Amino acid sequence: MRGTLVRRWLGIPWVRALLALALVVSLGCLFNAGGAFLRWSTHRDMLRQISVYGILACGMTLVIVTGGIDLAVGSILGLCSVLFAQLSLHGGQGALAAVGLTLGAGLATGLVSGTLVARARIQPFIATLAMMVFARGLAKWSSGGQKISQAVQAPDGTFSYVDLPRAFDALGGSVLGGNIAVVTLVFGGCLAVSWVVLAKLRYGRYLFATGGNEEAARLSGVPVVRAKLLAYGLSGLFAATAGICQAAQELQGDPEAGTSYELTAIAIAVIGGNSLAGGRGGIGLTLLGALTIGYLEKILSINAVGESSRLMLTGAIIIAAVLLQRKKAG
Amino acid sequence: MRIGILFLPLIASLACAADPSAGGKWLVGMSQCNLGEPWRVQMNADIRAAAQAHPEIEVVFKDAQNDTLRQSAQIGEFVNSGVDVLIVSPKEAAPLTPPIADAYRRGVPVIVLDRKVLGKAFTQFIGADNRTIGRSAGLWIASRLAQLPVVRAGGRARVVELKGLMTSTPAQDRDSGFREGIRGAPIDIVFEADMKWLEPASREEMESALAVNDRIDLVYAHNDPGAHGAYLAARAAGRADGIIFVGIDGLPQEGRVYVRQGILAASFEYPTGGREAVESAIKLLHKEPVPREIRLKSRFFTRDNLSRGGEWIP
Repeated sequence: MRGTLVRRWLGIPWVRALLALALVVSLGCLFNAGGAFLRWSTHRDMLRQISVYGILACGMTLVIVTGGIDLAVGSILGLCSVLFAQLSLHGGQGALAAVGLTLGAGLATGLVSGTLVARARIQPFIATLAMMVFARGLAKWSSGGQKISQAVQAPDGTFSYVDLPRAFDALGGSVLGGNIAVVTLVFGGCLAVSWVVLAKLRYGRYLFATGGNEEAARLSGVPVVRAKLLAYGLSGLFAATAGICQAAQELQGDPEAGTSYELTAIAIAVIGGNSLAGGRGGIGLTLLGALTIGYLEKILSINAVGESSRLMLTGAIIIAAVLLQRKKAG
Repeated sequence: MRIGILFLPLIASLACAADPSAGGKWLVGMSQCNLGEPWRVQMNADIRAAAQAHPEIEVVFKDAQNDTLRQSAQIGEFVNSGVDVLIVSPKEAAPLTPPIADAYRRGVPVIVLDRKVLGKAFTQFIGADNRTIGRSAGLWIASRLAQLPVVRAGGRARVVELKGLMTSTPAQDRDSGFREGIRGAPIDIVFEADMKWLEPASREEMESALAVNDRIDLVYAHNDPGAHGAYLAARAAGRADGIIFVGIDGLPQEGRVYVRQGILAASFEYPTGGREAVESAIKLLHKEPVPREIRLKSRFFTRDNLSRGGEWIP
């Protein structure tokens, strides 16, 4: 009787994701680097670190649920961090206008990916790979390959300096007596939006239906094209949000920002237990995946583990976490 | 055949273009290994700026996007298109030695910038010495830390070293040179990590360094973005005021800005050599001799010497 109860509990995806997280956290308690792991500031820093990746993973989850993948999020992050810095630092735009325009640009790039996937019927991997390359090129072109920072270069090569807009301090700072980073709150907001879309809106069910069996969904009247446009559009919007957060934290727009972040976003979604095949998953799983990856990196970092061992351990622990989930599922 | 005839005038005009005596321009090819780093963007900008003073040359840039084989192919393309001088900033030594030697043997003068290739089949090497720069940084840091009250009272200073990608030679040299510079000084390296030249990674490592160390006196980062990332971490933890930050590269829009803002106590320049390469190219085009090797001298910038244009490292 108790055996079946345990088995039933372990059949629930979020219980398994929680197990993987617990495994990593217990490692942290064991190797706590002289008590550093037991202090709140370490957890606050971990949450700050994982926030930008987590925001990308929110969009990635929406796309993965439809059975797709969005490789462009890292590049869109870079493009939008450059755009935001250009508008607010160099352009002197107000915070609201700069944020609004940057989010609009992210949404537009996402919708282009979505159109390529849904209307032109290009495979998501290829369409978003193309967008990844294109957006990175656009970021480099519009910035001239240089970081957009407080130093503004005049045509004669001399530099003048602009003040940091308040939006940077506000977004890059922390609240509650420095105990939680603002970007972590933004991550929380993105999780909430994604949760509403997936669990509360009719379109959320359309996303799952599209990913589960696209043909069956189409035949039963699900607006498949619009569902995909929504998923990729929101993914672009979240990537732009992440780009703004990145720029605010670095005090500059870096055209190289976000390189290979898409892989971490995918890893977060998958470690949480979202199925890459589509049709199954949830945003709570993505949160658990983000915490698992975040704690893993933090524990390796505070223990000053060398880079080579760090890469090998990360690979091994990711596989262990995924296997743990699969085994209990069976 | 007929198409070939159509192209003849074009080919003829291209041939003329390569001869300035006929009113055209000398063609200088610049093969850059990648433009993903601000420092290399600066190198190209330096070359472009220096070339503007010489209307008789035209510089064509190619970016190998951090791909050795692509760079090798681009060097071949330059030779085939008949450049008069070739400037190469190679990604790595061994695989790019043959294409550079091939260009050299076919009579194209080759200036190798920043990273050396093997052998002697090139015209000139221009570069700075990371080990020297690292050692100067170490010496400067040792003397700066000797002024700390805790060190004067007989204690030891606590330093964090944030390294560049440790599989790359610049990071290895900036590390070994630094260790040489601080040898014998009362300094403990209390935390060291590989931040792979990346600012976000540097910030994360510094957060960990702050978490496990109650007192940090100085951060030595292998590049200025790394030092800046460490500063941001310390600032977020409310501990930036008690820590001295030192970086390397000294780019005008990066490290020198941080020094001016008071974020970095010092930044050690790693010169690009772009201007020197154009000067050598001009000499070569006028058949003047150039030295086999130019070791670039480097400056360091502090808040006090910034307005004077920095101070030369001996």
